[in-house]
Amino acid sequence: MAYLFDEFFASGAEESVSPFLTPQSRSWGENLSLKSAFGAACFLILAFGFSFTHPPLSNLFLSLVYFLAGVPALIAAFNDLKNLEINIDVLMTLAAFLAVLIGSGLEGALLLVLFELSHGMEDSVSRKARSALHNLNNLAPKFAHAIDRDGIVFEKAVREIQTGTHLLIKQGEIVPLDGTVIEGTSSVNLVHLTGESTPNLKIPGDLLPAGARNLESALTMEVTRTSSDSTLTRIIQLITAAQEAKPRVQRWLDQFGKTYASTIIGLTALFALLLPWILSIPYLGIEGSVYRALAFMIAASPCALIIATPTAYLSAISACAKKGILLKGGIILDALASVTQIAFDKTGTLTTGHLECTAIESLTNSLLPLDTALAIAAALERQVVHPIATAICNLAADKKIALPEIKQFKTVPGYGLEGVLANGTAVAIGLPEHIAAKLNHKLPITKNAGQVLTLLLIGSDLFALRFSDQIRPKMDEFLRKIEQINGLTPLMLTGDHEQNANHVANLLGIQQIHANLRPEDKLAKVAELAEHGGLAMVGDGINDAPALARATVGISMGRIGSATAVDASDVVLLNDDLAQLNWLFLKAKMTKRIVGQNIGLALAVICLATTPALLGLIPLWLAVVLHEGGTVLVGLNSLRLLK
Amino acid sequence: MNGPNHFEGKDPLEHVIEARRKGKLAASEIHGEELSGHYSAAGSAAKETAIIILILLALTNTISPYLLLSFLFGLLIWKTSSSAILGWRRLERLHRLIEEERWEIEHHRPQEREELTALYAAKGFSGKQLEEVIDVLMADDNRLLQIMLEEELGLNLEAFEHPLKQAVGAAMGVIGASALLVFGLSFLPYWGALLCGLFVIAVAAGFTAHLEKNRPLSAIIWNIAAAMLASGCAYFLGQLFYP
Repeated sequence: MAYLFDEFFASGAEESVSPFLTPQSRSWGENLSLKSAFGAACFLILAFGFSFTHPPLSNLFLSLVYFLAGVPALIAAFNDLKNLEINIDVLMTLAAFLAVLIGSGLEGALLLVLFELSHGMEDSVSRKARSALHNLNNLAPKFAHAIDRDGIVFEKAVREIQTGTHLLIKQGEIVPLDGTVIEGTSSVNLVHLTGESTPNLKIPGDLLPAGARNLESALTMEVTRTSSDSTLTRIIQLITAAQEAKPRVQRWLDQFGKTYASTIIGLTALFALLLPWILSIPYLGIEGSVYRALAFMIAASPCALIIATPTAYLSAISACAKKGILLKGGIILDALASVTQIAFDKTGTLTTGHLECTAIESLTNSLLPLDTALAIAAALERQVVHPIATAICNLAADKKIALPEIKQFKTVPGYGLEGVLANGTAVAIGLPEHIAAKLNHKLPITKNAGQVLTLLLIGSDLFALRFSDQIRPKMDEFLRKIEQINGLTPLMLTGDHEQNANHVANLLGIQQIHANLRPEDKLAKVAELAEHGGLAMVGDGINDAPALARATVGISMGRIGSATAVDASDVVLLNDDLAQLNWLFLKAKMTKRIVGQNIGLALAVICLATTPALLGLIPLWLAVVLHEGGTVLVGLNSLRLLK
Repeated sequence: MNGPNHFEGKDPLEHVIEARRKGKLAASEIHGEELSGHYSAAGSAAKETAIIILILLALTNTISPYLLLSFLFGLLIWKTSSSAILGWRRLERLHRLIEEERWEIEHHRPQEREELTALYAAKGFSGKQLEEVIDVLMADDNRLLQIMLEEELGLNLEAFEHPLKQAVGAAMGVIGASALLVFGLSFLPYWGALLCGLFVIAVAAGFTAHLEKNRPLSAIIWNIAAAMLASGCAYFLGQLFYP
């Protein structure tokens, strides 16, 4: 079996999916930094225990801690320094290693273990949340069934197919390139492209967009666009461009961290150089300026500061996961907190995206009960896989109607189904034009915007079955709350016609509507709106993916959403429950508040406890109690986000 | 050798790939950690532990058990971590190669097609049949990458153990050899360690030879001979410098 390299490349060459490792041993590479942090934590406990009884043994375990937790921190710190970046990580690593010089190896090791643990947990959570981006490429078929001059069908790489090539699209396959139907009749749906599940009939001469799924029978098409400019490739290119153009949300804390670390490192150097001149003390020795400066640096890197942010983010991410909300990293919480507008796609997001049979009516004043007509329709439709068939069968199943036997069943691809009942009555269901052709006269029926119509013919009795996409339950209440509680302005961005968009918007009370938008138009609109304040975009189709990638926060639906939309988004609602968004925005704001409180607490520990202790203003034991107490308080404060 | 057994249930093309893989593995020089796997890491580490202790004993008449234990602990850490580091270095090299090959496939497609054509022409394909085979192979990038890695670069997929698993093997090798040597040393202070050391070397050499599908007997004898030569030379040189 061929190895699937896509997952490996999408993971950033992670060893847990390395193609070179035996499948049995790949699990050794999972969550390595977290495993290493836990190992280091165990050794630290041993080192602490033995420090009272066997100091050499304590030092042995301390060496193991520095090896396991210190080496990764050291490599990361050197990489930061190579990029001329002095941040809080560099400060912590420097303080941890310099602690050995002044005989505070245990304190340094504690810093390293906490540092490694928080990074390990963040990595682990992010890895779980980050869905593999290879789905983006999986969507686009890699090869197609080309037909040569002799009529022989063979596989050919999509990127090598030129315009004019004839391709065979089998039932259930995704159309690989844009083209024109030259043979066959079938229905296709664009559910992967637009979220729209309504099937479209394709007959010779019709355009067939890449990404459409062929629902019924085989089609032969002629390629009109190569892979470099097909619809699907264009959307994927748009997504990539949007991801690159997306303004990088920076943790507000990062800038603070840089300033703080640079200040502390600068002050340490200053104290080491100037203290002998000010206090008339030597440079070296336990009373020397170098020793005091190092002690100052270690004191200014308290545990509380390390755990202030990761514990808060991890608690919030964990609480979201429990509710079925997947966040692709803690930084998304910051972005969510900055959002002021929220845009929704229509089909599949505000509506369910599935057709429902909303009405059955007799067009010929038939005496046949409507339930009997439904039973006959379901008996015909249960033989095929089609969105309309599913809707009819679901309704019949809900009504618990027994289905009659159908004989001489046959399909007319793209048009309908035919058969004969046990009593010999001919029955047919399908497109109005198909049924009209059987009756040899025009039918006086109308359909409303957004409605799909199917006709059922039982002998000479004619029935109309109407289908439409339904608005999700309690959507109006959700939108009212999101405006009132979170102060967000809702708007609609849709590729659908203005009439359909207005109809749904009116029902839901959405004021701002942007309709008839192609994927690139949606992207441009999102970019424009995002300039006037944080914008969250909620969508589910591939056509939404560029906009989801470009928005301040992209939110997708896990169940009905296309894999591409899920990949391009930052937040995934695993249960497709939009009502959870109100809770999520509140949680994001609370997280930001708690991170701020944690930082304040950590700084208070430095100012009120550790530094005065170094200057001899408060006893050391009190400093230790305040220091550790501060760490515990920060941890407990973060745990509030678990609720 | 012709017949169904020759292909062992594979199609001819897979058989050729398999044969090439075996050829490459057989031709590669085996030097300790170069042979992948935790078993070979264990064998290699056990042999090295035994020979180091034998040389140490050849140079010192007596060695304190605590000193020996401390030495062995240090050796354990070194062998374990160096085995893991070597494994990760190899994995990094291999991952770099796979990235480079993917880049080649994406950016130099015509050249890759030529390479593939040459490879399959050498296998006896020609004319329209060759064109069709190349078309099918080029159709799926995933399959193409695998073929180029295996055929062009001669790499083996899913053939290596995780560096940590390999390191655990090395650690087991050191611990096993150390336990036997300490056991020998505690019963017969000099000869016991020597005999146990040679026993460890024999077992490890026989085991790794079995893994490599080589003749175990000659591997055992050669390894014991090399170990005795090494410790003997060290012993006599020691006597020369410190009579």
